[in-house]
Amino acid sequence: MNILRQIELEHMKPTIPDFGVGDTVDVHYLIKEGDKERVQIFSGTVIALQGGGVRRTATVRRIVAGEGVERTFPLHSPRVADIKVKSRGVIRRAKLYYLRDREGKATRLKPNLGKLQQPRSGKGSGLEPKAASNDAASQD
Amino acid sequence: MTGRKTLGILGKKLGMTQIFEEDGTCVPVTIVQAGPCKVLQVKMATAEEHPDGHTTSTKNAGKKGGKTERVRGADGYYAVQLGYDPKPVRVCNKAELGHAKKAGLDTGVRMITEFRLEEKPEQKPGDDVTVSILKDWQHCDVTGTTKGRGWTGTIKRWNFQRQRASHGNSINHRRAGGIGRQYSTSHGVPKGKKMAGHYGVERVTVQRLKIVKVDEERNLVYIHGAVPGHNNAYVTLHQTVKNERFADAKK
Repeated sequence: MNILRQIELEHMKPTIPDFGVGDTVDVHYLIKEGDKERVQIFSGTVIALQGGGVRRTATVRRIVAGEGVERTFPLHSPRVADIKVKSRGVIRRAKLYYLRDREGKATRLKPNLGKLQQPRSGKGSGLEPKAASNDAASQD
Repeated sequence: MTGRKTLGILGKKLGMTQIFEEDGTCVPVTIVQAGPCKVLQVKMATAEEHPDGHTTSTKNAGKKGGKTERVRGADGYYAVQLGYDPKPVRVCNKAELGHAKKAGLDTGVRMITEFRLEEKPEQKPGDDVTVSILKDWQHCDVTGTTKGRGWTGTIKRWNFQRQRASHGNSINHRRAGGIGRQYSTSHGVPKGKKMAGHYGVERVTVQRLKIVKVDEERNLVYIHGAVPGHNNAYVTLHQTVKNERFADAKK
């Protein structure tokens, strides 16, 4: 295997929850307050997935006090403790940047009920080689 | 000749990626495959110091200016010549094969570089130089050939400023502008004026790059930040000439 790919696999998390653009997720993010660490939950809609392998990131958008807030999380960062999928949406674009121009009811996505069980990860998503990364992670 | 007088190692830039530290800091790293290199030749200041059977440079003895009388077989300086990345025999010529054979290799190598040393080298032809030599290094200097950019305008090549997009400007958006003066005692275009031209494919050394990790098993070095050249380009790693103290202070 390509050495670079192998190195990335070693630094990737063995598993990442299966989610895609349009899904509503809870991102459990570790934040530091003085000496203490606590988990902060950021919930919103995934509007973009970028990068492959260890560089994969998800951009999550939500409305806080009437103001749109977007955060981009590196999925393989140790600070991202967990990602919980709340609901799935039907999408017709890879990037949902058009949601930035919308407000209120217009930002709703059609719920994707039928495909709930289907894995979203395809080739190049950076999510697929779970078996291989399990082995690599156990070496570390 | 550079000021460095230490042994480095030859390698190949494999590409860039990122790794996370435990606290979540994301570190951009270049993965370089460093070595294993073979010592092809050792150069000695005097003939007596040479290992047995060495005959190189006898032809050039006493040639330099014809003033210094050199002892036969002496190189006049200390150095270690390293070879990296074996290539198939069918692409080697006989001279290469003969040179490599002295170091116990069956085939030639793609990259050969000489490292000058202050003192008499301990290595002998045929010795291996592996990535373990940079285990104790904090930082390194990386020499390589930059990516070729072809014929390039002044904005990209010399960081000139672009001209106005509007307000009456026509066609002169990315041009260099004035290059000299006509009615003055110092008229004409100054020598060395920065203009458009070929850019890239230059030998460049990036100094004081932090070594993040050394993987002796796979002969890999993880270097913080970018390294000159395209992926799979050959690079040379040296111990840094910059002050290590300054490096720590910045951190």
